[in-house]
Amino acid sequence: MSKTIKNLKQFSTANERFEGAHLLCPGCAHSMIVRELMNCTEDNLVLSTNTGCLEVSTAVYPYTSWDSSWIHIGFENAATAVAGAEAMYNAKKRKGTLPNPDAPVKFVAFGGDGSTYDIGFQWLSGAVERGHDFTYICLDNEVYANTGGQRSSSTPIGASTTTSPAGRVSYGEKKMKKDIVGIMGAHGAPYVAQVAPNKWKDMVKKLQKSLETEGPCFINAMSACTTEWKFDPKDTISVSDVAVDSLVFPLYEIIDGKELNITYRPKNILPVRDYLGIQGRFKHLFKPENQHVIEQWQKDVDARWEYLQRREEARV
Amino acid sequence: MAEKMELKEVEVWDGNMAYAQAMRQAQIDVVAAYPITPSTPTVQNYSKFLADGYVDGEFVMVESEHGAMSGCIGAAAAGGRVATATSSQGYALMMETLYQASGMRLPIVLGVVNRAIAAPLNVNGDHSDMYMGRDSGWIHVATYNPQEAYDMILCAFKIGEHMDVRLPVQVHQDGFISSHTAQNVRPLQDEDAYDFVGEYQEKNAMLDFTKPVTYGAQTEEDWHFEHKAKQQKALMDSRPVIDEVFEEFEKRTGRKYNRVETYMMDDADIAIVALGTTVESARAAAQIMREEKGIKVGVVSPRVFRPFPYEKMQEALANVKAVATMDRSAPGGTVGMLFNELSGALINTDKRPVLTNYIYGLGGRDMTIENLKTIIEETNANAEAGKLTVPTQQFSGLRGPKLSFF
Amino acid sequence: MQKVGWDEVSAGTILDSFSQEVDNSALVRPEDRPYADTNSYTASVADWRVLKPVYNRDICIDCQNCWVFCPDTSIISRDKKMIGIDYDHCKGCGVCVEVCPTNPKSLLMFAEQDDNEEALSQWPEKKKKGE
Repeated sequence: MSKTIKNLKQFSTANERFEGAHLLCPGCAHSMIVRELMNCTEDNLVLSTNTGCLEVSTAVYPYTSWDSSWIHIGFENAATAVAGAEAMYNAKKRKGTLPNPDAPVKFVAFGGDGSTYDIGFQWLSGAVERGHDFTYICLDNEVYANTGGQRSSSTPIGASTTTSPAGRVSYGEKKMKKDIVGIMGAHGAPYVAQVAPNKWKDMVKKLQKSLETEGPCFINAMSACTTEWKFDPKDTISVSDVAVDSLVFPLYEIIDGKELNITYRPKNILPVRDYLGIQGRFKHLFKPENQHVIEQWQKDVDARWEYLQRREEARV
Repeated sequence: MAEKMELKEVEVWDGNMAYAQAMRQAQIDVVAAYPITPSTPTVQNYSKFLADGYVDGEFVMVESEHGAMSGCIGAAAAGGRVATATSSQGYALMMETLYQASGMRLPIVLGVVNRAIAAPLNVNGDHSDMYMGRDSGWIHVATYNPQEAYDMILCAFKIGEHMDVRLPVQVHQDGFISSHTAQNVRPLQDEDAYDFVGEYQEKNAMLDFTKPVTYGAQTEEDWHFEHKAKQQKALMDSRPVIDEVFEEFEKRTGRKYNRVETYMMDDADIAIVALGTTVESARAAAQIMREEKGIKVGVVSPRVFRPFPYEKMQEALANVKAVATMDRSAPGGTVGMLFNELSGALINTDKRPVLTNYIYGLGGRDMTIENLKTIIEETNANAEAGKLTVPTQQFSGLRGPKLSFF
Repeated sequence: MQKVGWDEVSAGTILDSFSQEVDNSALVRPEDRPYADTNSYTASVADWRVLKPVYNRDICIDCQNCWVFCPDTSIISRDKKMIGIDYDHCKGCGVCVEVCPTNPKSLLMFAEQDDNEEALSQWPEKKKKGE
C-alpha cells in the first residue's frame, strides 16, 4: 500500500532506495523522477530499465545504485522483462513457492523516449495489451540523450538534434512529437498519465495511483535534459516550470482509456516562445526566417490544449 | 496442483509433442512463447495442457520471439523454472536476447525446431538457425528423433539449473522430419520425470526481496573480458555435469546418451560426422556400405556441440584415415561449421585424417541413402589415397552442374 | 573497488545492493543498512564538482524543496529536518540553491575549494523587495 503523503516535510522522511554516485549528469531530471517513484511507496519493488541514460548510469560494474531488484536486458524489452518477472510472481504465488510470500511488491519498468516511443514500442504495447500488473514510466527527454542527442519520435518540431540539426536550409526536426499518452490510453490501460517532476505532488499522486491500480499503467514523465536541451544544470526545475505553464507538457490522466482529467491548469499560461527561448536546442528558431516554426508550435500547443479540454468535458 | 497425465509405456508422439510433454512434466513456472513453424505445435500442445488443467505455471503468449526470450529472461531472473520453443526467423529475432540470457547465467531451456533462415523464405528443416546461435554462450544439445527430443528436454533442465552450471540450454531437433513425424516414444511417468528433473533451486532471485540484486550491469574494457572469461569457464565446466546427468538418466531409463555419439567406430577406417536426423540416415548408409562394399565406415555425432567435445571428438576419430563432415547450413563463404570445428580438433592429432565437407539438405532437401553412399565412397577413396581425391567442399543433393570449392 | 581477476568477478555480472539480508530497505534508514561494496552508496562523485552547495542551518525553514528535487540523493533529511549535504554524492548541479525559497537562500554555491565555515561567514543579508 502506498503511504499517505500530505506535504514535502512528511515525504522527506522516506528512506531513499535510489542511491547517489550514479553517473547521470548533474541536474538530470531522470533521477528526480526515479527517486520520487521509489520514495512514494514502501512496498518491495522489482524494476527493469531499457538501455538508455538511466540504465548506463546506474548499473556500471562494479556498482549498482538500486536498493531494489533491477534488471536491464536490452534497448527495447524492459516492459517484457518486468512482465516476465510478474508472471513468475503469479506462478510462484499459486504454487506456494515465493521466497517472501507475504511481502507486497510492485513491478515497474523504466524507459527513455527512444526506447518507449521508438525501438521498444512493440514490447510495451504487447505487455500492456496482455494486462500484466505493472507500471511503465517513460522518462521523456525528447532525444536519444545517451548516445549523443539523436532525434527520436518524441523530438518536437524545430529542435536541433545531432540527426536533425538546424543548418543553413533546415530549422531542425520537422514533426511534432508522437502522442504517446493518447496511444497508451487507446490501449484501454486502466491508468495513463503525464507528469513533470517540478509538480512533485501531482507526480507523486499519479505514481501512487499507477502503483495501486491493478493492471498495466503508463506514465509519461517529462524529463528536462540539461545536456541535450542545452540549459544550465541548475535550471532543470525552472525550465520544467515553463514547460508545464506554457502547456507544452500539459499534466493530465486518462482512466480506462476513456475518462480524461486535466490535473494542472496554469494560472498564467505562458507563451511557447518563453519555453523555446530558454533552451539552446531551439535557439535558431529565433532567426527571422524561422519565426513560422514558433507560430506553428504555438498553434499546435493551443490545439492540443483545446482537444484535452474537450476530451475532459466529453467524458468519453 | 496440476492434474497428472496417465501416459502409456509407449506413446506415439511427434517431436513437438515430445517437447511439450517434457516441458509439462518439468512443471515450468513461466513459459513465454510465440508461435513459428515448425515449432508451433510445441506451444499449441502446451497451451492445451494448460487449458485442460495439466499445467500450474504461467503461460505468456507474447508479441514476438524477441519478446518471448525477453519474458523468459525476466522470469528466470525473478527466480523460477522457465522454457520456451522457437525456430528459424523467430530464433534469429531472439538472437540479441540469447546472448543476454547466457551472459546473465539464467538457466532457461529453449526447444529449437530447426528450420532454414530466409531469404528465400522456407519453412523446412536445415541447421541455419542452430548455426547462427552456436556462439551465443548456451549449451547446445542435438537430437535425432522425438524420443531424444523428449529425453534431452528433461536433461536440459537438470543440466542448466545445476548449481555448478547455471547456464541456458538449447535442445535441437530437425523441422518436420523429427518435429512432425510421429514415432514411438517411451516417456517417464509424471512423478518420475519430475523426480529426475528435481525442484528448481533459486539463485540471485529478484523475488527474494531480502537480497536485492542488479541484473544486466554494464561492463566496459576494464571488466568485460573477465566476465566473458568467467562465462566461458562455466560453459567448459558444464561438461562433467552433463556426463553426470546423462548417467543418471541412463539409470532411470536405460537410455544411454554421450556428449559424442559413435556408431560402428570400433574398427572404422572412415567416419561421417553429422548432426540431426541425418545421423540416423548416415548410420543406415554405413551399415549398408559395410555389407555391400566392405567399407569400414562409422558415424560420429556431437550430441552436445557447445561446449564442443573437442577431446572426445579427437578420441572418437583417433584411428580413422578420412572424415566427411556434413553441414546442413549455407556456409556463407567458407567451409561448414563441422568442418571447421573438426579441423580445429584434429590438426594437432597424430593421424590427421583427410577431411572433406559436404553441404547438404538446405531448406528441407532430403539427404538420401544414395547420396550418403556416394559420400562414403568418396571418403573411402580419400582414406585409401591418403589425400584428397575430391574437392574439399562439395554440395550434395543439388541440381545443376556440380558445385564445389577449395 | 579493486579490479579483481576473472575468477573473482560475480557470475552473470550480478551486483548485490546489500552485504546481508535486509527485510525491506524502504523501512531502514541509510545509516542502518549493510551496504555492499558494490552499492554506489559506497562510491564518490565528489570530483565531478567545480562548485559546491553550502548549507546555512540558521536560515533554513525545512521546506524540503531541495530534498525532493535533488537528483543525486544528496540532501540529508531526517525527521522532517534538513541536516546536511552528502558531499560524496553531490555533483554540484545547483538545483537545490535554485529551488530554495528563503530570503536570503539557505543554500548557496561556493567554489569547491572554499572553506565552509568561511562561506557561512560571508552569507548575504536578506534582500529587500525589488532588489
